[in-house]
Amino acid sequence: MTAPLLEVRDLSVVLSRTERDLPVLDKVSFDIAPGEVLGIVGESGAGKSMTGVAIVDLLVPPLRRSGGTITLAGDRLDRLTPRQMRRVRGKRVGFIFQDPMTSLNPVLTIGRQLTDTMRRHLPVSRSEARERAISWLTRTGLPNPARVFAAAPHELSGGQRQRVVIALALCAEPDLVIADEPTTALDVSVQAHMLQLLRDLHEETGTAMMLITHDLGVIAKMADRVAVLYAGRLIETAKTQALVTEPLHPYTAGLMQATPAPDETGVMRVRAIPGSMPGIGAAPSGCAFHPRCGRAQDICRQTPPPLADAGGRAAACYFPLHREAQP
Amino acid sequence: MSGHEVLTLSSVSKAYGGRASLIEKLFGRQPKSLQAVREVSFTIRKGEVMGLVGESGCGKSTIARIAAGLMAPTGGEIGRAEKTRQQMIFQDPFSSLNPRWRVHDIVAEPIRTHRLRPKNAVSARVGELLTQVGLSEADGAKFPQAFSGGQRQRISIARALAGEPDFLILDEPTSALDVSVQAQILDLLRDLQARLHLTSLFITHNLPVVRLMADRIGVVYLGELVELAPTDAIFRRPRHPYTRLLIDAAPDLDAKDRSLHPIPGELPDPSDPPSGCVFRTRCPFATEKCAAERPLLRQIGAGEVRCHYDLDLTGRELAA
Repeated sequence: MTAPLLEVRDLSVVLSRTERDLPVLDKVSFDIAPGEVLGIVGESGAGKSMTGVAIVDLLVPPLRRSGGTITLAGDRLDRLTPRQMRRVRGKRVGFIFQDPMTSLNPVLTIGRQLTDTMRRHLPVSRSEARERAISWLTRTGLPNPARVFAAAPHELSGGQRQRVVIALALCAEPDLVIADEPTTALDVSVQAHMLQLLRDLHEETGTAMMLITHDLGVIAKMADRVAVLYAGRLIETAKTQALVTEPLHPYTAGLMQATPAPDETGVMRVRAIPGSMPGIGAAPSGCAFHPRCGRAQDICRQTPPPLADAGGRAAACYFPLHREAQP
Repeated sequence: MSGHEVLTLSSVSKAYGGRASLIEKLFGRQPKSLQAVREVSFTIRKGEVMGLVGESGCGKSTIARIAAGLMAPTGGEIGRAEKTRQQMIFQDPFSSLNPRWRVHDIVAEPIRTHRLRPKNAVSARVGELLTQVGLSEADGAKFPQAFSGGQRQRISIARALAGEPDFLILDEPTSALDVSVQAQILDLLRDLQARLHLTSLFITHNLPVVRLMADRIGVVYLGELVELAPTDAIFRRPRHPYTRLLIDAAPDLDAKDRSLHPIPGELPDPSDPPSGCVFRTRCPFATEKCAAERPLLRQIGAGEVRCHYDLDLTGRELAA
């Protein structure tokens, strides 16, 4: 196995309160290999976006990183000064957010934003940056790239804007792209276009990707490996195919069954998980999922299960499903 | 109406704008108008769940508002069964509940407005409704802010049921919810459907959700109903190319077959729709006839399709 591009160890984030700090992310650890697509999946409030934001140190008080190490290609990101961190963002780590307007400056033309980004991070001349910008706009499949280059964000459709954001995230040739719900705000037909584009550019540039989404369908189509978050903890990681067909953690299985889908005979099935995910600071003792879990025993209520690694896949559960699948 | 029909839309249209401004009058210009809904016809029969599916901006929410009587159509006719009691459930459980009212009062309002219970029985009825949707009687004393999105949607459902509706309109009722919460709300709605035999119009952009909930489905594209058929037929044998492409475009949970199926092209500008068939600019089978003539809604198989051709005969290679 090649050395990981990104190594996250025991990453913890807290919500600072005067009385006490509330845990938002609790010792989250994972790796991303060069060129790999890691899917981060979970429900609202599970900590998926927080993970992405914490990696590039964009947490806003009262949120702060309270522990853990983040290593990108040998460099400790958690030790960088804010000034050094600014050079990492955009250059080595690109970002794609759910709402394209958060990534775009509304008063600058698309061309200006692309050339500024490249001029800041790459040794390119003004005319070279312009050329590359047009080429990026062409590669993202935008009709009439020259017109888009001169356009302001509001002159483009939602789908076109998201294409521009993808170009903007990739134009400085980062090693890692963090895509946070990149297709959630889009319609089904536009979503498939955007996923196709992300996949094409990923294959073309060889960049690694952290794909944050709540949509298991997007995970199934895009991710090489998946990490499942629940109440701020990483509860399962596995190769995508293994996770989808043989989830070990009861929560992962519950999430799959809660997604309406036809069975072999074409009859639609859906099964709800009882209860709801605990909010920040309200996690029960032991395994955070135990109040909703049909397999919970005394030990689950007392001690949080460790994320036990078993041959490339791991689940934080004392009584995992598909036990026989584990080597 | 025969008495089994709760709602009939006949060739209903809705145009926005279209009134000439002063400048347009001075220069004799035609005012620009937007045809949000064009000649949509369907009937909802007693006891059935009719689904409407389509992408944002296709006009499905406008159709819902017209069906609810919240908006007047600019063309066509609407027939309602006499004395239909109607309620609506909206997408956003945060803006659809008054934050200054206690849950008890929110749920009691339709009962009081329609005088459905004597005054001294209202509280008991509210408690009963809250229990029915999976909340507790004690929750009535709280304000909506105390609840999560899923619980708020339960409150919306309790409020809708409080009006003892014969006809329920649900506009993206689970789209703002997480998948595990969505499953709970869908379970609740299916359970209520089975027990109360509600008639409803269920609007969503989510195909698996509408497939789970609806008996019949109407597919809307650029303000037009392009296909209308029983749920099973829509998914097993879609007859309109857009229906087929829309079904294929949504990524499923199969991680082995990772192919993606985007619908070619982009949605045309709704204020300048294509001539003839509205879908022809993105349709893999479009011919000259499609640009020249607007297809009529015609009966094919178990449903109705607005297409000159039958996908079942022309589109085998697409389906494969």
